[in-house]
Amino acid sequence: MKVVGARIPRYDGVAHVTGRTTYVDDVSVPGTLWAKALRSPHHHAGITTLDTSKAEAMPGVRGVITWKDVPLLEYGHLSALGIPADEPLLAKDEVRYRGQPIALVAAESEELAAEAVDAIEVGFEERPALFDVREAFDSDAPKVHQWGNWYPHFEGEMDRRQIRKGDIERAFDEADTIVQGVYRPAAIEHAPIETQVCQVVPEANGRLTIYSCTQALYFSLGVVAAHLQVPLNRLKIVGGTTGGGFGGKVDTATETMACLLVLKANRPVKWRWTREEEFLCSSTRAPWHMELATAMTKDGWILGQKMLTLHDAGAYARFSPYGLTKHSFHHTGAYSIPNLHFDGYVVFTNRTPTTAMRGFGVTSVSFAVETHLSRVAKELGLDPIEIRMRNANRIGDTSPNGVAYTDPSTIDTLQAIADAIGHELPADYRTMTNEPRAGELLPEHLVAQVGSTEGH
Amino acid sequence: MAKHTGRGIAAIEYPTGMNQNGDPSQCWIKVKPDGRIDVFAGTADIGNGSKTIQSQIVAETIGVPYDWITYDNSNTDSSPVCTGTFASRATFVAGKAAEKAALQVKQKILEIAGKELEIDPTDLEIVDGEVVAKGAPQTKLSVGDVAAAATWGHGELITGTGAQLKPYAAIIDPETGEVDLPPHSAISYAACSAEVEVDDETGEVRVVRLQQCYDVGRAMNPTLVEGQIEGGAMMGLGLGVLENCYPYYPSVEHRGGAFGSYLAPGMEDMPQIDTIMIENPSADGPYGAKGIGEMANNPQPPAIAAAVHDAIGVWITELPITPERVLRALEAKTEPRREGKKVVFDGELSVNAVSKGGITFEVPA
Repeated sequence: MKVVGARIPRYDGVAHVTGRTTYVDDVSVPGTLWAKALRSPHHHAGITTLDTSKAEAMPGVRGVITWKDVPLLEYGHLSALGIPADEPLLAKDEVRYRGQPIALVAAESEELAAEAVDAIEVGFEERPALFDVREAFDSDAPKVHQWGNWYPHFEGEMDRRQIRKGDIERAFDEADTIVQGVYRPAAIEHAPIETQVCQVVPEANGRLTIYSCTQALYFSLGVVAAHLQVPLNRLKIVGGTTGGGFGGKVDTATETMACLLVLKANRPVKWRWTREEEFLCSSTRAPWHMELATAMTKDGWILGQKMLTLHDAGAYARFSPYGLTKHSFHHTGAYSIPNLHFDGYVVFTNRTPTTAMRGFGVTSVSFAVETHLSRVAKELGLDPIEIRMRNANRIGDTSPNGVAYTDPSTIDTLQAIADAIGHELPADYRTMTNEPRAGELLPEHLVAQVGSTEGH
Repeated sequence: MAKHTGRGIAAIEYPTGMNQNGDPSQCWIKVKPDGRIDVFAGTADIGNGSKTIQSQIVAETIGVPYDWITYDNSNTDSSPVCTGTFASRATFVAGKAAEKAALQVKQKILEIAGKELEIDPTDLEIVDGEVVAKGAPQTKLSVGDVAAAATWGHGELITGTGAQLKPYAAIIDPETGEVDLPPHSAISYAACSAEVEVDDETGEVRVVRLQQCYDVGRAMNPTLVEGQIEGGAMMGLGLGVLENCYPYYPSVEHRGGAFGSYLAPGMEDMPQIDTIMIENPSADGPYGAKGIGEMANNPQPPAIAAAVHDAIGVWITELPITPERVLRALEAKTEPRREGKKVVFDGELSVNAVSKGGITFEVPA
């Protein structure tokens, strides 16, 4: 191997650090109009009136779009996977989070566009908002979504994601100690240097060229084409170099609305979000509420785990059903736990919709399972590295949904860390490998885990 | 007032490629008349380095120098489908498509070289941009000459296409989560030790050192892998002790709308970071690679939470572990509830304490 494995400098590194990379906002097209959005000032409200006529009549304003201008108003990020859509591109009769777009204006300057936004007449009827996922299921909770307060469209039209494995009652019955805890990682911002931005240009042949900061060119191509109800060839997305994404730019946040404005004004349009919009109106990493109970033997075996996850999706589903499913498939962390009972809900609240972010669905699990295991080790008086190595998944052990692991490395990585910090492991832990369990590392409750070839 | 130090450990796993698969990436390659290689793929480079890695894969697979490669992911007219840069898939899935396309190009070059040299293509190999007869290295032809012969002599365009798609794994039993196919490809693993210093007067948690080991499958470009691991560590540190959109979650009040009112980690927060890479190759990834981009911010928060407990004896399980939370926890010194063999932490945070019966968490005993 000469090239693979080599420390080759980044392909576009010099351009990045010398300011010569062309990001979307560096694209300058003559005759470009500037876009600004009218956004909801309320967390939850009905829209009683919407009149854009004064804004449209202002000098220098070249177009205003509302929900009426969108050929397909609702198209889900995961529609291609059969997950139904719930989020209108522009709000129609209800706003469900502060910052939700209601109308978009194109004008000769950003200042004029902002003035025109202020001239749009919109009436609201405020409604009670829901922010605490733990209260969403109560009979007196505000109703915040057309599907109810939690996502109801998992396979079999189930309203939650379930994992069931083994015999959970027996595991807890046989446990020497049961440890329970609650884990709540926060919503955080993607905080890219480049805010959400696009530039759309109408071409002479009727095509639209979309300069986009998307993390997923073809994903965004499909989303824009679906809303516009046009074939893929009508659109050309130009991009591939993103000024920071971290998951937030998997959302197609600007492109579709800018295309509709271009079609209305027949002029190029640029829409770039302010830093404040990026912080307050773009999606965030989700906050998660996770409750864990583990059935432990006194010598540190995990017999079973029960878990409840409430995934705070914010106002709309976006990628949350996918994220929760991934979460459930990995909810045991790096360990082989033979008896499982997992229930997870995608809960709607009146906060900014959440979306993918680095580690999507699993960052939460890692925090919950690992912090919990540290607690368990302390509670049982066991070494925090040994308890992890003892329960680590091995080749042939099965995942929560019964698929055999082929290439685990939990034991190797922990041995390396033990070495690095000067933590002396007992001899049998120093020589432990990922090979299938045997001897005293194969207790009766794990026998069924060994030798499975399912999923190979 | 005193500063207390502590250490915490975490071990994690993370899947490569979209959960349940079904996420295609494609690549096509053409060769210019002088043998230089143009790669077209739809993979956005969000700073993850996929332009570099995919170019490396193509150069290695064909057998030409890295600087012969141009990489174009600039638009959806010339670049084929890539589901996107997420799910740690840009090296693992899209890189595999690039490898497959490069194998086709290599085969085409060998076929045309075989005609030119009147040698069976299976007796030829490509080394450093030259087609060489196996066992007779004096018999050779540059890839540039092969490409010229294809263009001007044989009237052929040397191209290759590749696509990588693992079929979608459907959930066939929503009661249990049973799937009909493996829902992941490779899984990557990591372990982390965090050392912290906690000031019991101000409540501030300073992460002093992170020692981390990642199974990367194959370090395609160690510099870029280290960049992912160290950059991810800083995001994990942000998750652990600094960042929060809703400082009084679930309340939406006091949400920061600017970098000045949102505490993201800066260079002054950067601890000593020691990176250990091990290579336990994947079966499906190009050259055994696994994807570690995303998991790189997962092990630090739990390692930090455990280190804080080691330092000051309180468990803080709501992130981030801010000075306010540290001081409140030190003041409260809440003990778990003990009932028979049950040890119940965080009762006040549970749904059981907040909901009016709409949802509960019941644990058998």
